[in-house]
Amino acid sequence: MIPYSYALREIRRRRSRSLSNIAGFAIGIAALVTLVMAARGWEACTSGPLRTIGADMVFIYSAPISATPGTGCYLAMHLFTYPFSTSIVNDLAKVPGVERVTPILLHRMRAITFCGIDPSETKTNAILPEDVIEGRYLNPDDRGVALVDSKYALQCELKVGSIVTYVKNFTVVGIVQAKAMSIIQSAIYVNLPDAQETVDAKEKVNIALIRVQDPRKVKTISEAIMRLWPGSTVITASDIASVTTGILNIGEQTAWNISIALAAVAILFGFKSQLSALVERTREIGLLKAVGWSKQDIMRLIIIESLIQGLIGGLLGSAIDYGASIYVPSSIGGEFGGALQFVNVDPILLAIGVSIAVLSGITAGIYPAWRAARLHPAEALRAL
Amino acid sequence: MDEVDLKVQEGEFIIVLGPSGSGKSTLLNILGALDRPTSGTVFIDGLEVSRLSEAELITLRREKVGFVFQQYNLIPTLSAIENVEIALAPKGMPKEKRLERCRELLNLVGLGKRMEHLPSELSGGEQQRVAIARAMANDPKILLLDEPTGVLDTKTGREVMEIVLQANKERGKTVVVVTHAGYVKNYADRLLYMRDGKLYEPKPSELQEEFEEG
Repeated sequence: MIPYSYALREIRRRRSRSLSNIAGFAIGIAALVTLVMAARGWEACTSGPLRTIGADMVFIYSAPISATPGTGCYLAMHLFTYPFSTSIVNDLAKVPGVERVTPILLHRMRAITFCGIDPSETKTNAILPEDVIEGRYLNPDDRGVALVDSKYALQCELKVGSIVTYVKNFTVVGIVQAKAMSIIQSAIYVNLPDAQETVDAKEKVNIALIRVQDPRKVKTISEAIMRLWPGSTVITASDIASVTTGILNIGEQTAWNISIALAAVAILFGFKSQLSALVERTREIGLLKAVGWSKQDIMRLIIIESLIQGLIGGLLGSAIDYGASIYVPSSIGGEFGGALQFVNVDPILLAIGVSIAVLSGITAGIYPAWRAARLHPAEALRAL
Repeated sequence: MDEVDLKVQEGEFIIVLGPSGSGKSTLLNILGALDRPTSGTVFIDGLEVSRLSEAELITLRREKVGFVFQQYNLIPTLSAIENVEIALAPKGMPKEKRLERCRELLNLVGLGKRMEHLPSELSGGEQQRVAIARAMANDPKILLLDEPTGVLDTKTGREVMEIVLQANKERGKTVVVVTHAGYVKNYADRLLYMRDGKLYEPKPSELQEEFEEG
């Protein structure tokens, strides 16, 4: 198709103009994708600890959590809290808007964390069936058996069938790997009655994981629970976010808004550049009309040129993003770099970025193309 | 132009002589439907140009008229063959057929071995030959040439005119050339003279005075 090869050569011919256009689109798209990915990364690192265990909030009787400086958003959460009666768990489940409540008993001794869970809760729990990498998950009627964390198993040379000791002996039935951002990571997981007996806390737990019916009502429900149980603390994703600060703490919507503004700047830049190029090409357009090109043919040519510049800019911007997502987190330390660890390259987002660049290119080319198509052939041919 | 009354017969070779600014290019633009007259009527192959829609004008320019300009107006980034091809691109002809037609025309104008060269790699005469091939790409009935030898030396200008004459004699093209180069007058079936927008058949003395160099 001659318009494509023609368009490509015109882009090459006007090298500096084309390069500045492409750079405009590339910077716009790189900024767009980076901001959105950063916003998502930030959101992931603040809400991730709760989401990975299927919870919307955590109920405890203790001081609020705190972020450990210099570790990004990894929240070292020491939930060795005051134990409370399991009857509260049942009452919590009756609070309007609460979907389910999962009791947890967490205990720590000589740097080993020991966790009692109710294995019948397979959607919201400290450890979930999908976290098992070897052996099996716990059954509700299991007694004297345990799941051990893979790192702890490696350290203590434990396998399925081995005996692990935490006050009492437990037979290892499964090796688990908790998700990286999980708020509750433990070395040993046993059935709740076993844990209560082991740490001498009969009918007691110290954490309740709460799942709500409508995630938009988390704040209202958490406030209601704290009113109903004075002295309790309910931790939500926004609480986790509020204890950390950083430049990346922007919402995804804000990121999109900034990005759209950048795309608009790129469009204006490309538009102005295409319009200037048109003045230089008036005679050429006149010739095309003289040989029988229609308005549509001419518009298509100019828009294709603009589209190609947008496409190259978009691909370049995405490549910059991809490179940055690999290089930046490893080269920046502290909380900022830590947060960036959660920034994942999303191929869909990159594709959206490229699409926006292409659309911006087309948009930037429409008016100049329309102007070119309207040129009077005889007048255009007379142009110097 | 002022009270121009011109009838060109099919297959005729007309040369319009006249000084710069006399209205020759305007006449050619009107004959080729690139411009519309402010008054009066123009018929091309039986069609009244002023009554044609924009789409019909485009078809007319594409199918019935081929233009050649003084400055060649080749697209600098495209090779010789691609410069001819752009005239065929809007027709929706298959690529292979398009290229076959372009090769045939470039061979006809003696540029069979220079097809892939860019305009900057071609001499003035060669560039004008590419422009003639482009003008003939859609096999139009009419060839309109605006100062085709204007920037060429006499020898090259004559070579270009020979190609135009060949198109007229062998392919039956109706040719109208506007020029102020007197040496091309011998190629014409009919000579016309234009001065101050008026078109008329020149007296021999007028030609002698204006184009002694020819």
